[in-house]
Amino acid sequence: MFKLKLTALGHPNPESFNCEDEKEYRSVVLWLEDQKIRHYKIEEREGLRNIDGDNWKEAYDIYQRDLVSPATEGQPNEQLNWLLSYAVRLEYADNVDKYKNAKIEQPKQAAPNVVSTNPLDNLDFSSPAFKAGVERVSALTGVGPHPDPKYRLAAIAKILKTSPHIDVAKTEANIIQQPADVLKLLFVQDLRDLQTKINEALVAVQAVTADPRTDTKLGRVGR
Amino acid sequence: MVVRQYNEELKYLEKINPYCWRIKKGFQPNMNVEGVFYVNNTLEKLMLDELRNSCRPGMTGGFLPGVKQIANVAALPGIVGRSVGLPDVHSGYGFAIGNMAAFDMSDPKSIVSPGGVGFDINCGVRLLRTNLHEKDVQPIKEQLAQSLFDHIPVGVGSKGIIPMNARDMEEALEMGMDWSLREGYAWAEDKEHCEEYGRMLNADPSKVSLRAKKRGLPQLGTLGAGNHYAEIQVVDEIYDKYAAGKMGLERVGQVCVMIHSGSRGFGHQVATDALVQMEKAMKRDNIETNDRQLACARINSVEGQDYLKSMAAAANFAWVNRSSMTFLTRQAFAKQFKMAPDDLDMHVIYDVSHNVAKIEEHVVDGKVKTLLVHRKGSTRAFPPHHPLIPVDYQLTGQPVLIGGTMGTCSYVLTGTHQGMTETFGSTCHGAGRALSRAKSRRNIDYKDVLVKLESMGISIRVASPKLVMEESPESYKNVTDVVNTCHAAGISKKTVKLRPIAVIKG
Repeated sequence: MFKLKLTALGHPNPESFNCEDEKEYRSVVLWLEDQKIRHYKIEEREGLRNIDGDNWKEAYDIYQRDLVSPATEGQPNEQLNWLLSYAVRLEYADNVDKYKNAKIEQPKQAAPNVVSTNPLDNLDFSSPAFKAGVERVSALTGVGPHPDPKYRLAAIAKILKTSPHIDVAKTEANIIQQPADVLKLLFVQDLRDLQTKINEALVAVQAVTADPRTDTKLGRVGR
Repeated sequence: MVVRQYNEELKYLEKINPYCWRIKKGFQPNMNVEGVFYVNNTLEKLMLDELRNSCRPGMTGGFLPGVKQIANVAALPGIVGRSVGLPDVHSGYGFAIGNMAAFDMSDPKSIVSPGGVGFDINCGVRLLRTNLHEKDVQPIKEQLAQSLFDHIPVGVGSKGIIPMNARDMEEALEMGMDWSLREGYAWAEDKEHCEEYGRMLNADPSKVSLRAKKRGLPQLGTLGAGNHYAEIQVVDEIYDKYAAGKMGLERVGQVCVMIHSGSRGFGHQVATDALVQMEKAMKRDNIETNDRQLACARINSVEGQDYLKSMAAAANFAWVNRSSMTFLTRQAFAKQFKMAPDDLDMHVIYDVSHNVAKIEEHVVDGKVKTLLVHRKGSTRAFPPHHPLIPVDYQLTGQPVLIGGTMGTCSYVLTGTHQGMTETFGSTCHGAGRALSRAKSRRNIDYKDVLVKLESMGISIRVASPKLVMEESPESYKNVTDVVNTCHAAGISKKTVKLRPIAVIKG
């Protein structure tokens, strides 16, 4: 567990770290503060340094609160996960220039590149026209701001797919009718998804079995 | 049959509202339930005239009048609710065409009757939409009509262009549209928008005679003759914008293709075979009916079960048939417009069956009951939120496709809750004949019919022009009267009106 993050931070033995072991857990926390986070001055780290002491837990709680960790109430592994992520973030901030140019090696593609003829597939998501379009639709549907227009578009799609569009007056009959209608619509939507999957399966089978033929020589017009 | 004066007969009929008449018990002997029929003023006159004519002395032989047939059906064992006549009702074999009747599956005496399904088992209508506009099609209308005519073989004795052997046929009978899907003649979405998902699961090809299979095999993918047709239509009027939108019909002038066909000689043979079996079963089980043509068997008897299994196979045949013609239509359009059918948005809006018997659940007198619902010349019209209709139509109700006669308009309706309670979710199926075929041939000249269609700007391709007068608009009731009656009576709701611009016919 946490192998990737520990490796990234240069921990001496990321492979063998066992999160469940109390002693190892404590020493990793101390290592993080000593080497990476350095939130306290050296003399303030006494509480965390006392790994075998009974007061370590209290010191750790205070430490987390001082870091304003959102995971103070969580499980120990959740708490450590946040600490590790925080450390990674600090590490990155210290050496932005170094990491910025890091490249992930692309796995070799087995399938040939398919050039799509669907105009939607060729949309330029970073173009100003696209951003402006999403802005307009967001205003109409009441979707809040987000820096990534694609994210907003996904939110709009979700709203359009699931929410009823018409506001109906709240009468006594409607109070029962409306939820029933909503359930019916959700059911129809599920059914549509299912039917689409069935059709896809049929088409996949057809790719193997289908061989439609005609022979005009057989034809005969009647009288 | 009881012989009475016309005035005496009228005492058994009561107009309960402007669009609905009741047929009281006693109108025909042994009626278990009452009858009912839906008409407006014009159709009412036709209906009563037919009855009056049959009351004249010396009028024997031929079909009984529709009202009498509805009442005879009400006398069949196990019938529940009412025997219902829809506005397009006219005399048929045993049951009137445009008659629906439901039988209680839990009653051991309940019967199934081939006459209540009809000879063209699972005859039905399918509607395809396109994203084309009338102005795209008008300039090449003649070529398009010819191309359709070349792709879809029509007429008596026509043969299909999809290669099939006996084994394919067995599989198609069992699998219905799933066969078309597997072989690639249909799209996955077609199945979704088809009544019963295009397959009756109880089909058993081993119950079908060799003769029926031999008749059916070469006919798969052919339109047939009689009132069957393929039409290129345009949206003429939209009454319910929301429901039409759900069907992908967005604007006036949008081009659609309607295919009206059934199970061809196959279904006819299945029905004929069953009638022979049932006559024996009636003698054995002492089933009495008012009319010899109402041959039937108990649902739980061997004959009853065998019929239901072979009928289901015939229903599957009809769906494969309509799917094959859909495939051929898509090819014809793709060739003319040099575009893929996908890009022309040629989706199936819906596919209805108007000659079939189905096991359904309905509420009768406040209790849920499993019924065998016979619909002959009657279309299922289920209301919104019914579990058996496609997800896309859950909010609008099931689309109901009403094919007009050659050269007149067609309609798309939707099912309603009122129809569910009053008519077991059933409505009309088309215009309904007003003149018999023989009478049409005597009174109308085929050249006049063709000239008239041409003057209306309708391209027409017919295999047998000399039979065209049987299908002339004059031979039928006015489809608009029929549809308006269903709408006014509340048993279904008008959504879209379509007008033909090209007709392919047998």
